[in-house]
Amino acid sequence: MTLLREDLRSRLDEMEEVDIVAGIPSFNNARTIAHVVRAVAGGLAKYFPDRKSVIVNSDGGSTDGTHEAVMGADIDHDSLLLVSHRVPTIQKITTPYHGIPGKGSAFRTIFAVTERLNAKACVVVDSDLRSITPHWVELLAAPVLDRGFDYIAPFYLRHKYDGTITNSIIYPMTRTLFGRRIRQPIGGDFGLSGKVASRFLTKDVWETDVARYGIDIWMTLTAMAEGFRVGQSYLGAKLHDAKDPGADLTAMFRQVVSSLFGLMETYEGVWQKVESSEHVPMFGLPFDVGLEPIPVDVERMKRAYQQGLRDLDGIYRSFLSPSTIEGLVGAALETGDGFRVPDALWVRLVYEFAAAYHGKQLDRDHLLQSLIPLYLGRTGSFVLDVREADAVMVEEKIEVLAREFEAQKPYLLECWDVASKRR
Amino acid sequence: MHGILEKTILEPFDRLAQQIAQVVPVLVTVFFILLVGAALAYLVRRLTHGALVLLKFDRLVAGTGLSGAIERTALFRSPSEFGARVAQGTVWVFIILFALSAAGTQVTDALVARFVNYIPDFVTAVLVLLLGSAVSQFLSRSALLAAVNAQWAEARFIAGSVRVLLMSLTVVVALEQLRIGRTALLVSFAILFAGIVIAGAIAFGLGGRDLARDWLDSRIKARPPAEKDPLQHL
Repeated sequence: MTLLREDLRSRLDEMEEVDIVAGIPSFNNARTIAHVVRAVAGGLAKYFPDRKSVIVNSDGGSTDGTHEAVMGADIDHDSLLLVSHRVPTIQKITTPYHGIPGKGSAFRTIFAVTERLNAKACVVVDSDLRSITPHWVELLAAPVLDRGFDYIAPFYLRHKYDGTITNSIIYPMTRTLFGRRIRQPIGGDFGLSGKVASRFLTKDVWETDVARYGIDIWMTLTAMAEGFRVGQSYLGAKLHDAKDPGADLTAMFRQVVSSLFGLMETYEGVWQKVESSEHVPMFGLPFDVGLEPIPVDVERMKRAYQQGLRDLDGIYRSFLSPSTIEGLVGAALETGDGFRVPDALWVRLVYEFAAAYHGKQLDRDHLLQSLIPLYLGRTGSFVLDVREADAVMVEEKIEVLAREFEAQKPYLLECWDVASKRR
Repeated sequence: MHGILEKTILEPFDRLAQQIAQVVPVLVTVFFILLVGAALAYLVRRLTHGALVLLKFDRLVAGTGLSGAIERTALFRSPSEFGARVAQGTVWVFIILFALSAAGTQVTDALVARFVNYIPDFVTAVLVLLLGSAVSQFLSRSALLAAVNAQWAEARFIAGSVRVLLMSLTVVVALEQLRIGRTALLVSFAILFAGIVIAGAIAFGLGGRDLARDWLDSRIKARPPAEKDPLQHL
C-alpha cells in the first residue's frame, strides 16, 4: 500500500482495528475545521461510546495552520452532555494525501486508512461546514453499523436557488439512470461501509476528474450501479464557509458532469435495463430550518445563454438535433420574465449532450464547456419559475422535471444507440 | 547517281528511322507506364476511400477543421473522398516521375532529380499545414468557449484572432520549409505581427483610455475582491 506514508502505516499498525473512521478532507480550512473536528469527535463519543474510532484529516498541503487546528481541537464534554461513564479517547490523524490535488484524492487516502484498519464504517464530512452537529455522525454511521447499509447519502434542506446542478441535472439523471431517488447525490457528506470503501479503492479512476469534484457523483453512482444497499439521512441545513475562490463554475461543472457521463459508459449495461425509480430509505427526522437567502442575477444568466447560442452556434449544430436548436433559439427570443427553457427541451438537450459525449462527436472538454451557457439559461429560467414558490412547491417542480427525465428515457436510449454505432 | 541518291535521300531516312526506332520504344514505355499508372491510381483511390470509410475517417476529422475546409471548397463530398483523391494524386505524381525517368533524357532526369530532392520538404510542409490547421482549430475553439463562459462580448473576435494568428504562423513555417520567398515572407510576417500588436496597443490606449487606466490601476493598486458567484451550484 504505497498510498499511505511510512509513518502513517506504522501508526495505523499500532492501532490495529477500529470500528469507525471519520474522514475530513481539507485544504486551507483552518477557520472552520476545528469546529468540524469537535462536532465529529463529539458525535463519535456521544453516539458510539463503545466503538473504537479514529478521525482522519486528509490534507492537500494547507499552509494556513489547518494541521494545528485539527490537532488542537478538543471535545467539549460538558456541552455535549456526555453521560457515559467511559468517554472514549478518539485518536486524530492528520496526513497529506498523494495524487492530483482534489477532494477525490483526499477521499482515497481516507478509504485506504479505512481498509488498513478494517473499519466497519467510514464517515466523510466537508471541512468547511458551519452547520455540522454531532448528530450528523450518528445519522451517517448508524445505518451502516446497525442496519447493514453500505452507502448513506445526505439529505439537506437547501434554499430554492441552491444546488442548481444537482436539481437540474444530477438528481434527475441519477434517478432515471439507476432507479434510486437519492435527492442529494453530490451532497459532500457521506456514510459508507468498509466493504464499499475497499471496492472504491480497487477502481482505476484516481487520475481522472473523480480525484477532484467528480468524487461525490462517482461514489453515489458506483454504489447504486454495483447493487450496494443505499439510503439517505436527513441532516437539516447545510451551511458552508465562504466558497473556495478557486472553485469556479466551469471546473466544477465540467468535472461533475464528465464523471456522470463517464459513468454512463461504465455502467451502460446496468442503466439501460432500469425502467422506473423508487424511494430509498430515509433516516433522521425531517424538520424545518431557516435558510440563508441567496441573491441571483437572472439577467446575467439569460445573457450567458443568449451569448452561448449566438457564439457557439456552429458547435451546437454539429451534434444537437435541429428541433432542439429550434427550441433553444425560440427560448432565447423571449424577453423579460417570459424567458423559459421548458423541462421537455432541457431533458432532450441533456440527453443529446450525453449521447454526443458518448459518441465523441467533439472534444469532450469542449462539449462540456459548451453546455455551461445553456445550463445557466436553464437555471435562470428555473429561478423565474420558482420566484414566488415555497419549498414544497419548488420540490414539486423538481419532481416534475425528474419525471420528465424518466418519461424521455427511451429518447436517451435511442440517442445512445446511434452514438454507439458512430464510435 | 546511286551515291547521290543514297546520300541525299536514303541516309536521312535511315537516320530518321534509327531515331524513331530509339524514340518509339521509349514512347511506348511511357504510354504503357501512364496507362498502367492510371489504372493503379484509380485502384488506389477506391481502396483508400474504402479504408477511410472503414476507419470512420470523416468522424475522426470532424472536429479538426479539415472537414469544414473541405466542405467549403465544394470539390469533395467528404474528407474520405478528399483523402482518396490525395492518395490518387500522389500515385499520379510518382507515375509521372517514373514515366519521365523512363524517357531517360538529360532534361527529364534533371527534373526528376530536383523533384525527388524536393519531396521531403514538401511532405514536411504538408504535415506542418495539417498539424497547424488542427491545432489552430482546437485552440481557437478553446478560446471561444473560455471567452463565452467568461461572458466576454468579443468572444468570436478573440477566437478568430487566435485562429488567424496561428494559421499565419503555420503558413509561414510551411512556405519557409518549401523555400518559397523566405526573406519576403519572414519580413512580411514580422511587419504584420508587429502591426497587429501596435494597432492593438494604440486602439486600447486611445479607444479605451479609461479602461487602460482602470486596468493599470488594478494591476498596480491592491485589487478589490472579485465578485463572487452567490450560487452554490453543486
